[in-house]
Amino acid sequence: MYKYILETAGNINWMALFSLFTFLTVFILAIVLVFRRSDDHLRHMASLPLDDDHSSPSDQTEKN
Amino acid sequence: MGKMESFSYDNKIVKWFAYATIIWGLVGMLVGVWAAFQLVFPSLNFSTAEVSFGRIRPLHTNAVIFAFVGNGIFMGVYHSLQRLLKARMFSDALSKFHFWGWQAIILAAAITLPLGLTSSHEYAELEWPIDIAIALVWIAFGINMFGTILKRRENHLYVAIWFYIATWVTVTVLHVFNNLSIPYSLLHSIPVLAGVQDALVQWWYGHNAVAFFLTTPYLGLMYYYLPKASNRPIFSYKLSIIHFWALIFIYIWAGPHHLLYTSLPDWAQSLGTVFSIMLIAPSWGGMLNGLLTLRGAWDRVRQDPILKFMVVAVSAYGMSTLEGPLLSIKSINAISHYTDWTVAHVHIGTLGWNGMLTFGILYWLIPRIFNTKLHSMRWANIHFWVATLGILFYAIPLYWAGWTQSMMWKQFEPDGFLTYPNFLETVTQILPMYLLRAIGGTIYLVGAILMSVNLFKTMGKGNCEDNEVTEAPALTPHKKVKGEYWHKWIERRPVQMLMGATVVVLIGGLVEIFPMLIIDDNVPKIASVQPYTPLELEGRDLYIREGCVGCHSQMVRPFRSETERYGDYSKSGEFIYDRPFLWGSKRTGPDLHREGGKYTNSWHYYHMLEPESMSPGSIMPPYPWLIEDDLSTKYTSAKIKVLQSLNTPYPEGYADQAVADLEEQAREVADQLRAEGVEQENLEKKEIVALIAYLQRLGTDITPEPIVEQ
Repeated sequence: MYKYILETAGNINWMALFSLFTFLTVFILAIVLVFRRSDDHLRHMASLPLDDDHSSPSDQTEKN
Repeated sequence: MGKMESFSYDNKIVKWFAYATIIWGLVGMLVGVWAAFQLVFPSLNFSTAEVSFGRIRPLHTNAVIFAFVGNGIFMGVYHSLQRLLKARMFSDALSKFHFWGWQAIILAAAITLPLGLTSSHEYAELEWPIDIAIALVWIAFGINMFGTILKRRENHLYVAIWFYIATWVTVTVLHVFNNLSIPYSLLHSIPVLAGVQDALVQWWYGHNAVAFFLTTPYLGLMYYYLPKASNRPIFSYKLSIIHFWALIFIYIWAGPHHLLYTSLPDWAQSLGTVFSIMLIAPSWGGMLNGLLTLRGAWDRVRQDPILKFMVVAVSAYGMSTLEGPLLSIKSINAISHYTDWTVAHVHIGTLGWNGMLTFGILYWLIPRIFNTKLHSMRWANIHFWVATLGILFYAIPLYWAGWTQSMMWKQFEPDGFLTYPNFLETVTQILPMYLLRAIGGTIYLVGAILMSVNLFKTMGKGNCEDNEVTEAPALTPHKKVKGEYWHKWIERRPVQMLMGATVVVLIGGLVEIFPMLIIDDNVPKIASVQPYTPLELEGRDLYIREGCVGCHSQMVRPFRSETERYGDYSKSGEFIYDRPFLWGSKRTGPDLHREGGKYTNSWHYYHMLEPESMSPGSIMPPYPWLIEDDLSTKYTSAKIKVLQSLNTPYPEGYADQAVADLEEQAREVADQLRAEGVEQENLEKKEIVALIAYLQRLGTDITPEPIVEQ
C-alpha cells in the first residue's frame, strides 16, 4: 500500500512543495513563538473563561 | 488597572438563539428521520413532490447544519464573547437583525427547498436571493462581533475568539465564491463555473463548510464551555495556539479529497490527500487538549451529564477527524466513496460532535441565564444514554451497509463478470441496515425531545435576566514589555488577527483554485462534446429540481468494476457545459453518467411513473407529477442567453429559436414513446419528455472505442 500511495503522489508539482513549505513555516513559527511565552501570561490566558462570570448561580451540576 | 465600570450582558439574544437551536434541532432531526424511513418505505412520501426524498434530503442537511448548529454557534458566541471580552454586544439592533434575519433565511429555505428551488450545490442549495440575504446577515454578525471586540475591557483575546474570527472570515470567502451565479429569474440562476471547475470550488466550499461551520466555531465553544463546565482551565494553552494556526491553515486545502478518482486533475487530488492526512495532527491536538482538561476530574464526569455530553462530543470529534483523513487515502476512498460509509462518518461528526456538544452547552447555559437549576438532572442523564445509543444504532448499521455494498459492487466471478451486475441487488441487501439506521435516528430524536421538555420546564421555573448587570475594570493601554514577541502582540490586536487568519486561509484557496480556473490544460476539450439542446437543458433542470443528484452520481471512476457496470470512465472534457456539475456524492441508485441509450424511452417513462414496475424491489420513489405536469418553457430563452454569456457555443440569436427547437425534439420523443406503446394525451407537452431527452443524452457525446479482437 505504501508503494501505491507514493506512486500516486509522484506527480505532485511545485504547488505541493510550495504548500508544504508554507505550512512548515507557519507551523514551526507558531511552535517557536508559543514556547517562548512566559508561564504567567499563559496562566492568565487559560484562566480567562473562568474569571469572566460574576453572577453564576451555585454549582449546577449537583444531582437534583 | 482601570476604574471599575458597570455594564450589562445581553442575555435576551442568547435566550432567543437557544430557543431557535432547540426548535430547529427538533425540526431538522425529524426531517432526517423521515428521509431515513423513506429509504426503506418509499411510499412514505405519499406521492407528494414537495416531500419526496430528493427534496427533503437537502432540507434535512440545511436544517441541521445552518438552523440547528448555526443557531447553536450564535447562541454560544453571543454568550461567551460578551463574557470573554467583558463587554455587552456592540449593537442590540444588529443582534436582533442577525437573529430575525437568520430565522427568516431558515424559513425561506424550508419553503424553497421542498418546492425544488435549488442550486444543486451540496450544502449551498439555496437560490441567489437567499444567498444575498445570508451575506447581509453574516456581515451584520461580523460587524457586531468585531464591534464588541473593539470596545472590549479585556486586553487579550482568548483562543475561543480566534476560532470565531477564523470562522467568520472563511465562511464569508467560501459563501461568495461558491455562489457566483447569474440569475435568469427571481428564483433561478446558473452558476458561473462549469464541470470540473464548479466541482472543485463546490467541494472546496463543501469541505470547508464542515471545517469552518461545523468544526472551528464548535472548537471555540469547546475551549470556552469545557473549562466552564469542568471548572478548570484548558489543559494546555500552548497546544490551543498550535491547534488553531495549524488547523485553519491545513483545513482549507483538503477539499479535493471529496473528488478522488474523479475527473479532477491528479495534482489537485494529491494535494487534497496530503493535507487531509496532515489534519490528523492538529485535530488530535485539539481533542487531547479537550479531554486532558478533565485530568483529575473524571470522578465528576461519572456524575455530571453535562461533562458526559462534552466527553462524548470531544471523543467523536477525535474519531471523525481520524476517520476523515483515512477516507482521504485513495485506496480507502476507492471503497468508501459513494457508499453509506461516508454518511456514517458524517453523522459521527454531526450527531456526536455537534449534537452532543450543543446538548451539553444547552444544559449548562439555560439554568445559568434563567437563574435556576436544571429541572431534572436525571432526565439529562437519561438523554445522554439515549443519545449515545441512538448514535450507535445510527452509525454501526450504516458502516456495515457501506462496506457490504462496496464489496458487492466490486465483486467479480472467476470468469471475469460482475457477481452482482444488477445494482438493485446491492441495495436490497442493505435495506435491513437502512431500517436500523432510521430507528437509530429516531432514538436520537427521542432524546432531543426529552431534552427540550427538560429545558423548557427549566425555563418555566426560572426567570431570564435579560440584562445581566456586572462590572469590570476599564481597558487600560497595554505597556509594551521588553522582549515581547509576536503572538502576545497579535492577541491584543483583533484587526491584525483577522488579517492574519484571512491570509493563512487564503493561501490554500489561491494555490489550489486559481490554477484550475486559469490554466486551460486542466480541462482538456473533447471535440465531440456539444452543448445540451433546449429540451435536454429543461430536462436537466427537472433532474436538479427533483434532487436526483442526492442518490445518483454522474461520475464513472476509472475502476474495472465501474467501467464494467456503467461504461467508459468519465473524462473532465465531458462536463464543460455542465452548469452546475452533477457528479453527486452518494449512490443510493446507480451512476447515470452513461445512462444515455441504455434503456428505451418507454422504460424511462414507466420507471418514473412507478419504479417498481421496471425494477421490482426498487426504493426509488415514483414521480407521477412528471407525467402529469406540463413543461414550462417560460425561461428557456433566458437560460440560453445566460449560457451564451458564459461561452456556451450556441449559434448567435439561438435564444429566439430555442423554444421551437425544444417543441420539435419533444414531439420526436413523444412519437417514440407512442411507438413503444405509451398512451397519453399531449405527451409532448409533459415534463417527462424533457427528462427522458436529458437521460438519453447522458454520456453519449463520446463513443467508446470498439474493442477489436486481436
